[in-house]
Amino acid sequence: MTRSKAENSASEQKAANELALLDAVRRRDRGAFSELYRLYHPRLRGYLNRILSNAAIAEEVLDDVMFVVWKDARKFRGQAAVSSWIFGIAYRKAMTAIRKESRYQSQLDHGADVNTVPAKASQDVELIQAALVQLSAHHRQVVELTYFSGFSYQEIATIADCPVNTVKTRMFHARRRLKYLLPILAGADEETDREQA
Amino acid sequence: MNRRDPISHEQASELLPWLVNNSLAEAERDLVHEHASSCVVCRRELRELENLRDSISDASAATAIPAPDMRRINARIDALIEKESRGQLLLANIREFFRSPWRFAFAAQTAVVAVLAAVLLWPPADEPEFTTLTDPQTLPEGQYVRVVFKPTLPASDLSSLLDTMNLTIVDGPSDRGVYTLRLSATLTTADREAIVADLSSNDDVVFAQSVRNGGQR
Repeated sequence: MTRSKAENSASEQKAANELALLDAVRRRDRGAFSELYRLYHPRLRGYLNRILSNAAIAEEVLDDVMFVVWKDARKFRGQAAVSSWIFGIAYRKAMTAIRKESRYQSQLDHGADVNTVPAKASQDVELIQAALVQLSAHHRQVVELTYFSGFSYQEIATIADCPVNTVKTRMFHARRRLKYLLPILAGADEETDREQA
Repeated sequence: MNRRDPISHEQASELLPWLVNNSLAEAERDLVHEHASSCVVCRRELRELENLRDSISDASAATAIPAPDMRRINARIDALIEKESRGQLLLANIREFFRSPWRFAFAAQTAVVAVLAAVLLWPPADEPEFTTLTDPQTLPEGQYVRVVFKPTLPASDLSSLLDTMNLTIVDGPSDRGVYTLRLSATLTTADREAIVADLSSNDDVVFAQSVRNGGQR
């Protein structure tokens, strides 16, 4: 699959619009901030939901992220895309929340409460959700940012504030772990189905 | 893997996730495609990653995201703005106060008076209690040398040395073993320096220096 010219143009237009909004936020324009908030809310909320596995914490962290956007809009120098800058804040806030959460692992085990998959969702989806929560926070972040948020590896390096090779290495390990986990989880699922039958 | 590939299998393989999410730059994307066309392993990996992407996309769509609720963040921003405006108001009031030249002059005068009062009323720091061998001291008119002898020099030898050189102890030894010695007659600078040189070259002398008229060298 390749990105068409029309897609590129739409993406550039979107980036320019976000830059204009942030510029207005820098001038303390509340209307522009509301628009930016609404624009980023679904992406950030989805990302934070999956990373933090707790809806209340995800909402709180989202507000923290957007508060920093309001407060520090003047510090944005335009060296990265607005989305990378905002997701960079979200990444750091999410990592802090994960570290603070002493019961992180047990929360991951109960992650399904926010990543609620409706009954009609495919079995593959449930398997992948179950596999993703088994990854380390750093590995999971790279997978999330790549597949859910669609960032390039360079953008992820900016977001995570690490070298691009680190991003590639984390993805390599995440892929290897997923390859190992998915068949095991699929097997366990089949067993549960048999038992229930 | 094609031998003429400008990209190695490892490099192509690690870029596959970003080929799948459509975020590779055109040149990189072409290279990975070119490699994958001749690499069975990468093609299989690519299919698996595409399946993963599709499942993740399904999962993403299946996750319900609540509508944005800006009440809390708006309250936080209001509080921040209020705090900032309080600070700005204070600054504005200070600026307004100093806009009048009379007020500015009064404030400047008060500041100067305060500084002067502080300087005058501040207790002076204790002077350091140390001296150097060349510190000026009040001595009667005459010519003097200051000498430090080796502690091992017996008193009799010291006395004999002073006699030989016509020197009289007028002060010392100090805590640091410094003797102030008076020359018996008024000598020229050259003669005085010759005596100092003699003393300096003596094995029993650690240090010698001429002093003249109340401590000035």
